[in-house]
Parts: sequence; C-alpha cells; structure tokens
Amino acid sequence: MTFEALLFYFFAAVMVAASLAVVTLRNPVHCALSLVLTFFTCACLWLLLRAEFLAIALVLVYVGAVMVLFLFVVMMLDIKTLPGREGFTSYLPAGLVVATVMLAELIGLMGARKLMQGGPVRDAATEQGLSNTEWLGRALFSDYILPFEIAAVILTVAIVAAVALTLRRRPNVRTQDPAQQAATRKQDRLRLVDLPHHDGSKQA
Amino acid sequence: MELSGYLPVLLFLGLAALIAAALLAIGTLIGPKRPGADKHAPYECGFVAFEDARMKFDVRYYLMAILFIVFDLEIAFIFPWAVVFRDIGLIGLIEMGMFLLLLVLGFVYVWKKGALEWE
Amino acid sequence: MVDNTVAIAISMADVRAMLPELFLLAAAFTILMADLFIAQAQRSVTHWLAIASLLLTGALVWRASGDDSLARSAFGGMYIADQVAAVCKLFILGSTLLAYVYARPHLKPRGLFQGEFYTLTLFAVIGMMLLVSAGNLLSAYLGLEMLALCSYALVALNRDSPLSSEAAMKYFVLGALASGLLLYGMSMVYGATGSLDLGGIRAMSSSNLLHPDLLVFGLVFIVVGIAFKFGAAPFHAWVPDVYQGSPTGVTLFVASAPKVAAFGMAYRLLDNGFGTPALWPNWAAMLSVLAVLSLVIGNVVAIAQTNLKRMLAYSTVSHVGFLLLGIIGGGADGFAASLFYATTYSITVVAAFGLIVLLSRAGFEAEEIDDFRGLNQRSPFHAFLMLVVMASFAGVPLFVGFLAKLQVLKAVIRADALWLAIVGGLCAVVGAFYYLRVIKVMYFDKPVADAPVLGATDAGFRLVLSGNVLALIALGIFGGPLLTWCMRAVAAS
Repeated sequence: MTFEALLFYFFAAVMVAASLAVVTLRNPVHCALSLVLTFFTCACLWLLLRAEFLAIALVLVYVGAVMVLFLFVVMMLDIKTLPGREGFTSYLPAGLVVATVMLAELIGLMGARKLMQGGPVRDAATEQGLSNTEWLGRALFSDYILPFEIAAVILTVAIVAAVALTLRRRPNVRTQDPAQQAATRKQDRLRLVDLPHHDGSKQA
Repeated sequence: MELSGYLPVLLFLGLAALIAAALLAIGTLIGPKRPGADKHAPYECGFVAFEDARMKFDVRYYLMAILFIVFDLEIAFIFPWAVVFRDIGLIGLIEMGMFLLLLVLGFVYVWKKGALEWE
Repeated sequence: MVDNTVAIAISMADVRAMLPELFLLAAAFTILMADLFIAQAQRSVTHWLAIASLLLTGALVWRASGDDSLARSAFGGMYIADQVAAVCKLFILGSTLLAYVYARPHLKPRGLFQGEFYTLTLFAVIGMMLLVSAGNLLSAYLGLEMLALCSYALVALNRDSPLSSEAAMKYFVLGALASGLLLYGMSMVYGATGSLDLGGIRAMSSSNLLHPDLLVFGLVFIVVGIAFKFGAAPFHAWVPDVYQGSPTGVTLFVASAPKVAAFGMAYRLLDNGFGTPALWPNWAAMLSVLAVLSLVIGNVVAIAQTNLKRMLAYSTVSHVGFLLLGIIGGGADGFAASLFYATTYSITVVAAFGLIVLLSRAGFEAEEIDDFRGLNQRSPFHAFLMLVVMASFAGVPLFVGFLAKLQVLKAVIRADALWLAIVGGLCAVVGAFYYLRVIKVMYFDKPVADAPVLGATDAGFRLVLSGNVLALIALGIFGGPLLTWCMRAVAAS
C-alpha cells in the first residue's frame, strides 16, 4: 500500500467518524463542529485527488461561511441539547436494512469490479501540463462562460430572496445618525438667555 | 501539483499545532491554581447573573451570514480568474466585469434596502 | 515565453441568439433597482414595468423564432434556440403575464404587493427560459435551480403565515433532495459518457461505452429529478402543501408556467440527451410507472378534498400523469401532444386560480369548495367562467382539455401502449367526478347565509380573466393551429 492510499484510508475513516458524530451528538454546537471536521477532511481527500481549487473552496466557503451560518441558526433556534432520541433505536434496524440493500444494489448494478477496468481516470489538467486551478480558470472563462454568468444571477437571486424573507423593518426604533450628529452646530443646540437679577434689573 | 508540494503546508500545520499545545501546556503546568466557587461564577457587573449566557440570536445575524456566504462565493470565483487572467485577455476581463456588475447590483439592492443597518 | 493565451470563442452571434433572455435579464435588474426608489403607493409602476418587460421579451422570442439568420445554438451548445423552446417560452411568458394580472388584487390587501414578488418571478422566468433552452446538463441544472430558488422564496413570501412557512420548508427540503439526486445522476452520466453536452451524450450513448450500466443508473436519478420537479407521484408530496400554503397570488405563478418549463426540461433531457432507441425503453418504463401512479393517486385523492386549492393540487398531479403519458409515447407525436397539453394546461390552471382570486377579498380567501356554493345565483357570469374551467380540466368535449387529452391518448395508442391509454381514459372519468362536483355546488346548492360578495377587482382584471376563459373554449373548438404549431415545433427541432 502506498503512502497515498494510507492517507486516503485515514482521511476516509476520520470523515466517516466525524459525519457519524454530526448525527449522533446531543449538543447541536458539537454537531456543527463535527461537520466542520467532516468538511475539512473532505477537503483533504479532494487534495489527494489533485482537485486543489475545490479543496480550498470547500474550506473557504463551507468551513468559513456556511458553518458560521449553521452556528447562527443553531443559536437562533436556541436549542441547548437535543431531547433523547425517541425512535432512534426503533428506526435503526429498518434504516440499516435499507442502507445495506441500497449499498448492495449500487455495487451490484454499477459493478465495482468493472469500474476498476479502463485504467486511471484521465485528468485534463495534467495532460495539458497545467495546474488544476489554471485549467479550471481556462475552462470557466471560455467553454463555461454562460453557466458562470448564470451563477452570478443565481447569487443575486439568493441575496434578494434572503432579504425578502428575513429583513424586517422595526417601527419605533431610535437610532443615532452619525452624520447628523457631526453636522450639528452650536447655534442649533445652545441658546443663551439673559436671566434677570434678583432685584429685577437686567444684567449689564 | 504533486502532493510533495504540500510539505511546507504540512510542516507549518505541525509547527502551529506544536506551539499551540506548548502554550496551553505551559499555562496549565506552571500557573498557580486556587479555584473557588466565586471565581467560577460568571461576572456580570457585580450582581448574580440573571439568565443563561446562551441566549437566542437575532434573525438579523442570519441575514448577515447569508450575505457573507454570497460574497464569499463571489471571491471563490475570482481565484481561478486571477490565476489565468493574463491568458484569457480582454474578454476574460469583460466576463469578470459582468459577473461583478451583477453582484454589485445585488449589493446596491442590499444597501438601499437597509439590510446592512443594525438599527 | 510560451504563449498560453486561451482563445475564447464568443461572438455577437451568440449574444444575438440569446437576446430574449438577455433583455429580460436586463429588465429584471432594472426593475430590481427601480423598485428601490418607488414608494409603496406607486408600486403599480413596478407591476406595469414587469408586464411590459414580459411583453417585449415575448415579442423578441417571437421575432427570433422566425428569423432564420439567427444561430440555433449558442455558447458552444450550452444554449439551444429551437422551435420547441420558442413555444415553451411564449407560454411561460404568457401565463406569467396572466399570473401578474390576477395576482395584484390578491396581494394588495394582504400587504404582499412588494417589488420582490415581481423581481423573484422575473428571475424565475429567466430560469425557466434557460431551462427550456438548455443544451447542456450544466445549463439545465442552473436554470432549474434559478427557478427553484425563486419559487421557495415566493412560497414563503407571506412570512407571518405558519401555513406558508411550512409549505416553503417542505418544498425547500424536498427540492434540495431532488436537486441532489439530479446532480448525482448527471455526474454518473458524465462519468459514463465523458460529456455534459446533451448532443454529445446522445452521440456517445450509441457508441460502445465502457460502463453502459452507469449511464442507465444516472438516467434513473435524472428521471427522479424530473418527476419531482413535475410533481409526479410518488414525488408529489410537496404539491398540495405548496398550492394550499402559498398565497393564491403566488400559487397562480407556481402552478402554471413551471409546468411548461418542466415539459421543456423533460424534452431536452429525454429527447435531446437520452432519445436514442436503445435508451428509450429504459426511461419510458420508469415514466409509465410514474404516470399511472400520478393518474391514480391524483384523481382518487382529489375526490376527498374540501379545499379548492388542495383539490387543484391533486388534480395537477393527475394532469402531470397525462403529460407524462405523451412523453412515454416518445417521437414527434408524443412530445407534440405533451407540449400541447402543457401549454393549454398552463393557461387553464392560471384561470382557475384567477377565479379564486376574483371571489376572495381582504380577510377572506375563497379557497373552500363551499365558498362557491350557489355562485350561479350571485353572479351567473362568474359561475359560467368557473364551469368552463372545470369542464376543460375534466376533459369535456368542446373544451381545450378534451382536445389535449385526446392527443395524448392517440400518441400513447400509436406507441403500442394500449393499457396506458385505458388507464388514462379511466382516470379521466374518475377525475370528471370532482370537477363536476364543483359545478354542482355552484349551480344546484343554495348560497350560504353569509355568502361573500365578489371581491373588489377592476374591470381590466375581469376582462383579461373572461378572455382567458373564453380562449379555453375557442382553443377547444379551433385548437388546430396551436396543435399544428406544436407538431411543427417538435418536428423541426
């Protein structure tokens, strides 16, 4: 077994364990942190496959941004610990049977042995002597330009949808307006009044 | 890139882990430890804490996080462009310009809607 | 230094071929920006801007479909502008236009008359147009996601309604699952054929593949994805909740145009991509199961409904069954029959929900079948309009629904699937029962004591709705030209 294969099994084992932790741990924050580990290990696996850009994107986007969102949601819902898993043990046998049958069917239909034939998968990037990111950039901005621009539209739609669904105007909120504060002049706020002396005469 | 190219990254990670572990270990080993009930109580300006520290988060954080993800993805698309932008020439610049323009319009929308205001 | 320059082959011809989408995109962004500066009292400006952009886009699609100098495929095969796409797009734009007209009086008194309704629907329309023009798995997926993302948000637009939020939640979770399955299938197809281009997949699938089973396996997942987006049984669980839970103004849109887009997607994937004689039996068998289940479940469960929106949801499931029957027939006849079915269904269903809007008013949704009790005594003309819509759904002769069902059954029989035609015919008879019940309630039941008066809608609304409904009769009697158009479109593509 090569060192790379050894690494693969190590990462794969960590990933399976971490993803199991995601669905079994009681504290949702711990679940979210296990998911971070799952994503990170997945990024390591992708690095092994020479998909460097995807690996970094996974860490940047999922570990960096999506998990922050997950944590916010967990905190927003204010779940301290999940209640006992009612039905977990009763569903487990049925779930295991279904999962095993599905796995067997997948392997049987696709023919795991047959997939090994035909040699290693062609890698367009190495064939052209480019790095993964370079090849991706070239493909993205030449052949796949239309999907790329559609992606921008979809991202904008996501912004509009998020704002439409979560933005609420709160009435009667008193806020400070820094610009107005800074633009205040002495004359607007301060008024000098002549006060009469106790004997009734005006001040000189 | 061959995997051997990641050796510096691996060394860096190892060193970082080592330093972090060392700092924690030194603190535990040589720091004085005299625990007490009052020391462990949460500090809240002198009075006893009213409620749990883990309180409900406002939904506005969620909106911020979503907006962060969207613009984070935008950055992720810029990386491959930055790597090859010498090779793809002016058209590549225009393509990226259009991509950014669409998202800038989204940004203008967010701004004008007041989603970035905290009130 | 080595010259690494990448040749990017984008010409003005690509841009010109895609002009309708690009125009609508520019219009949608303009409306997005303009709406920010429009006060709530002037929100109708957004409404009219959106309608104008739909009309102009329709004109551009119409002109482009007749202009032979335009490229039929652009961006390296990512985008296909054939006649089927043109027919689908015109009906998507048309039913969205009707949805805008009908939605306004419903959204206004409920505080939902916002610019977001218009921008999100316009983006959804762009997604649908891209979907029906997709020449590549990637552009199909992105178009579909654009439509789906907008739909989720639209369903949840009424944020204070728990029913609405629940519907959006179910729709989103199931939709995300279906998208995952679809992507998984697409990745298998890519693994088997090495191509994302639908034409390329078709060419590769007839050659000697290393892993032909993988292609079939991918096809299974893709069919599941299509079935979900159609709302075909057993992937229909989201349909009733979404139809009932979303505000009627949104249901109008979600129920109509996306059905045409779903047909377009099925046509692109199943005909352009997997339309080879070797692959046809694979997906036709799967679709047969889906069609029979949809017909039976849709029609039988619809009988038990008391909520009109929910009943129409189950009726949609059954109509999707009919649509799938045509696709199973395969070939130009089958797809043409399905295209005819999808287009006429979109304008029928939009009229049905328009009538619900007509009877509803602030604080009252005319969603229950009982709300239509004795409608004939209160407003004979509107009872007649509802009669036409229900009769067309039921497939009564002289109405367009009959013509559509007839075409589909003919195509199925021609494809030697007589048993499917028999199931379809039987289910149509069962289905007639619950449509006729609505008619019976309107004409033979006494109005309840606190029977609501007709909602406050303007004359323009009633004029458009009447025209829409009368078109159902006109198309039922003189449906020939539309049918010929559909047949020519499929034959030419």
